[in-house]
Amino acid sequence: MTFDSDTVLSAQKLSKAVDGPDGRLTILEEVSLSVARGASLAIVGASGSGKTTLLGLLAGLDRPTGGAVTLDGERLDTLDEEARARLRRRLVGFVFQSFHLLPALSAEENVMLPLELEGRDDARERAQQALGDVGLGKRLHHYPHQLSGGEQQRVALARAFVHGPALLFADEPTGNLDQRTGAAITDLLFAMNGEHATTLVLVTHDPKLAARCARTVHMRDGRLIEDAA
Amino acid sequence: MKPVVFAARSLRREFRHGELATLAAALVLAVAALGAVGTLAARVERAIVASAAELLGGDLGVSARRSALPEDFVDEARRNGLATNRIVEFSSVVFSGDASQFTEIRAVDPAFPLRGALSVRGADGSARAAAAPAPGEVYADRAVLVGLGRSVGERLQIGGRDLAIAGEIVNAPGGSVFQFAPTVLMSLADADAAGLLGPGSRASYRLLVAGDAPAVDRYAAWAREHLPPAARLTSVEDAQQNLRSAFERGESFLRLAALLAALLAGIAVALAAQRFSRRKTEEVALLRCLGASRGEIVLALTLELALLAVPACLIGAALGLGLQEAAFAFARELLPGAVPALPWGPSLSAFLIGLAVLFGFALPPLLRLRDVEPMRVFRRDVDTRIRRFDALYLLPFAVGALLILIESGSGRLAGVLGGGLLGVALATLAVSLLLLKLLRAGGRRLPGALRFGLANLVRRRALTLIQVGALALSLTALDLLAVIGPSLLERWRADLPTDTPNYFVLNVQPDQRRDFEARLDGLGARNLSLLPLAAGKLVAINGQPPRAADYADERAGNWIEGEVRVSWSAEVPPSNRIVQGTWHGDPATPQLSVDQSWFEMFKLALGDTMTLRIGDQEVTATVSSVREVDWSSFRVNFFMMLDPAHGDALPHSFIASFHLPPDSAGLAELSRALPNVSLVDINAILDRVRDIIDRVSSAVTWVLGFSLIAGLLVLLAALAATADERRFEIALLRTLGANNGQLNAAVLGEFAALGLLAGVVAAGGAAPPASRWRARCSACPTTGRRSARSARSRSPRPCWSCWRAWPARGASRGRRR
Ligand SMILES: Nc1ncnc2c1ncn2[C@@H]1O[C@H](COP(=O)(O)OP(=O)(O)OP(=O)(O)O)[C@@H](O)[C@H]1O
Ligand SMILES: [Mg+2]
Repeated sequence: MTFDSDTVLSAQKLSKAVDGPDGRLTILEEVSLSVARGASLAIVGASGSGKTTLLGLLAGLDRPTGGAVTLDGERLDTLDEEARARLRRRLVGFVFQSFHLLPALSAEENVMLPLELEGRDDARERAQQALGDVGLGKRLHHYPHQLSGGEQQRVALARAFVHGPALLFADEPTGNLDQRTGAAITDLLFAMNGEHATTLVLVTHDPKLAARCARTVHMRDGRLIEDAA
Repeated sequence: MKPVVFAARSLRREFRHGELATLAAALVLAVAALGAVGTLAARVERAIVASAAELLGGDLGVSARRSALPEDFVDEARRNGLATNRIVEFSSVVFSGDASQFTEIRAVDPAFPLRGALSVRGADGSARAAAAPAPGEVYADRAVLVGLGRSVGERLQIGGRDLAIAGEIVNAPGGSVFQFAPTVLMSLADADAAGLLGPGSRASYRLLVAGDAPAVDRYAAWAREHLPPAARLTSVEDAQQNLRSAFERGESFLRLAALLAALLAGIAVALAAQRFSRRKTEEVALLRCLGASRGEIVLALTLELALLAVPACLIGAALGLGLQEAAFAFARELLPGAVPALPWGPSLSAFLIGLAVLFGFALPPLLRLRDVEPMRVFRRDVDTRIRRFDALYLLPFAVGALLILIESGSGRLAGVLGGGLLGVALATLAVSLLLLKLLRAGGRRLPGALRFGLANLVRRRALTLIQVGALALSLTALDLLAVIGPSLLERWRADLPTDTPNYFVLNVQPDQRRDFEARLDGLGARNLSLLPLAAGKLVAINGQPPRAADYADERAGNWIEGEVRVSWSAEVPPSNRIVQGTWHGDPATPQLSVDQSWFEMFKLALGDTMTLRIGDQEVTATVSSVREVDWSSFRVNFFMMLDPAHGDALPHSFIASFHLPPDSAGLAELSRALPNVSLVDINAILDRVRDIIDRVSSAVTWVLGFSLIAGLLVLLAALAATADERRFEIALLRTLGANNGQLNAAVLGEFAALGLLAGVVAAGGAAPPASRWRARCSACPTTGRRSARSARSRSPRPCWSCWRAWPARGASRGRRR
């Protein structure tokens, strides 16, 4: 597989093995994959099949034991953790199943975080605008514990998109939400994705969410089984 | 990201969290305890120096024997902007009509007194403040008036001059308590005019100066260089020994208590920081995920703690100042003279120590957050790799050791204390591991709740070890204080039992002895000790006339040129201890026992001879023993003691000390019946020292309270460390159908098991150090006594303060009884 200018993310023979109590355990085996700029990809599969592991490797949160990951032209597997952090700060947004807002910061301050990490001066205004975009313009100064799950996930979405990342990684973004709220979050996610032209890589058990993505890949026992393009 | 902004934002919400409150409280406590004790000690020290200046009558004295000081000593003092006061002291007989009285005359210039106040009683019997005696007038001690049978308003003659008795001396700065004749205060001009100061007068000349501390220091440096032979400087440090030592014994214990409070606070800080960083782990993982660098994160977290700690330390310092202000107000009336300014140094250093404690104890768990994997945002169970050994964990020990070193002021003691505490910590780990192992094996047969509690402890082994360690250390520290504190207090009180001699009587003639003893017996006096006293001159050592130039110690010259006193008794006097040779029995030739400081000053050896001229007799005695004398014992002590058989043959009088209830009516009767004896009343001094001991004792109790609170904080912090998990478990158990009773039993079971572990270890850990300490205390030679050497040395080292003396004692060869 060659890297062309339209490929924003690619993995080549990506493997991950961990040392467990019963010896070495391979949880990801030679996964190759490439994602075009602006595309949306759903990773589905049974629990324990290695979806989260793959997502973490693609986003540069973890180091593979074999293979290579290229993110926006940079070989992640050769960078150290600090360099990958700098890359993530610039290029990547995250949405998690359990929201992961900082409990000590208000909604606004949570959204400001990625901007402040980049050292931008207009963090507050942009955060306010992003929160307005997700319909929480009136909840700026509320703390996570004062927000419902759906609202928290919307704050998380605002935080993920606010600095205009090239890629957005999401691990079961609707997993902790009821169906209706989940659907609303899904709508919002794709609306923002369209608006920011972000590449979307998400892990989900939710067939409806997977169906919204342009492409779905299946995982089984740490291997990739590609479905329809 | 601006770490400061992030830290401030986080803190705004989080400071209410239990662990941060614990951390802040621990710091407030540590800084308050250290600051209060440090400030109080410094301030009392200043007050003592100030009152010592009053006792001395100036800030610095220069004295010379035989000849007046060169004039440039006065000129130099004036050049430095210092006030000066000249005093000439000599012995003389004063007359009035047919009566005569041997007195110690102090002739003073009009500047007297530079420090302190002179007060005299007029003819009407009321005391008033007075200036130096005007030409033609004198003030006299009561004993002089009694001896002459005169009263204020009548006249007496000194050196052929007729002078008016203008008052009876109530208090005159610069005198000494144990002077051997009563005082007459006269004007220097009169003494000069009467020709009393001419050559051969055997007068001693003293120049007192007073002024700003820097100017006095400059002058002292100058004077030291230009000091003529046989002259010496008297600084205020030399005065007020008894007052100073009463405070010092308290101070060292207060410092110990404050130090342990600070160390306990450190443990609480460490536990709180541990919990803080556990709680922050998720957040750190997220920040890593969002691309924050390790440096930024650690900086932000450190700043968050600092933002909390700096105000906490400031509050602690303010609280410390407030507390010492209260304590000082409480102690102030004991310290005559001006209120010394508030010293800021100790508060500042307490503040800095607080920050050091924070960073020393909190940084290790915080810095470990550097290792948090960003993958943790997805998988809670991705554990940060635990490095088996991390040099960071040595930091608290280093800070602790440094703290001990700073506060205890002795490397050796710091080693002993630090090593002891470290030993307890290690023992705790070993014993806990062993117990946990045993419990795991044998725990199945325990009742349900205890079994569940134990299971929890075993499961969280690392945390359990930390908890047990912290608890055991704090229990040990408290145990130590609880054992040492009261026994020290008791000891201090025992130093001055209620029947401590409170009167001294000088000049009892041999033919008056029977009568004197009978009268005192009639008055119900207790603890009477009556010692013979012969005064004379040291004329030879090993047959050679001694020369001052041969001895390094300038005081030797004073004894060579001045008067020496010798006594004798069959027994070794109380508060004396033979350190070399043997106490004379009933020898054929005269034998002499010499005070240790003299022995060293005159470079003597056992078997050397000393020749004394007493009146018209000469006696040559062989040095057969060396005594260590406790000069702070409020007893009469002598540098030289002869054997009784040879002593009795010398012309002598008696000096007595005894206890009588103060203001006993019979004493006036005694003075009338034996008019030549002079009575010295030291009730005021004893009361003052006792009062100080009492107050220091209650201060000690207060500071012990600090340590106790610190111990409680550690306990809270240790329990809180598992609170979050416990809350979760309880919720889980509840959903599984456990009722309240079962839940309580489970939690109590865990606490009981924890308490048991810590208690067992602490009991084992504290017992040996505490009993060692006790043993050391009782090994002190007659507690409360200051060795002759330390009494003479510039920086006093109280022996009875076992705390400080411990290492010193260990070093001195075989002084233990
Ligand atoms: N650090 C690790 N140590 C041990 N085992 C691991 C580790 N990381 C992942 N695994 C194992 O690898 C397998 C894949 O895990 P992963 O979390 O990627 O699965 P998943 O597809 O995301 O499952 P789910 O849908 O339940 O989230 C699991 O069996 C998991 O237990
Ligand atoms: Mg998963």
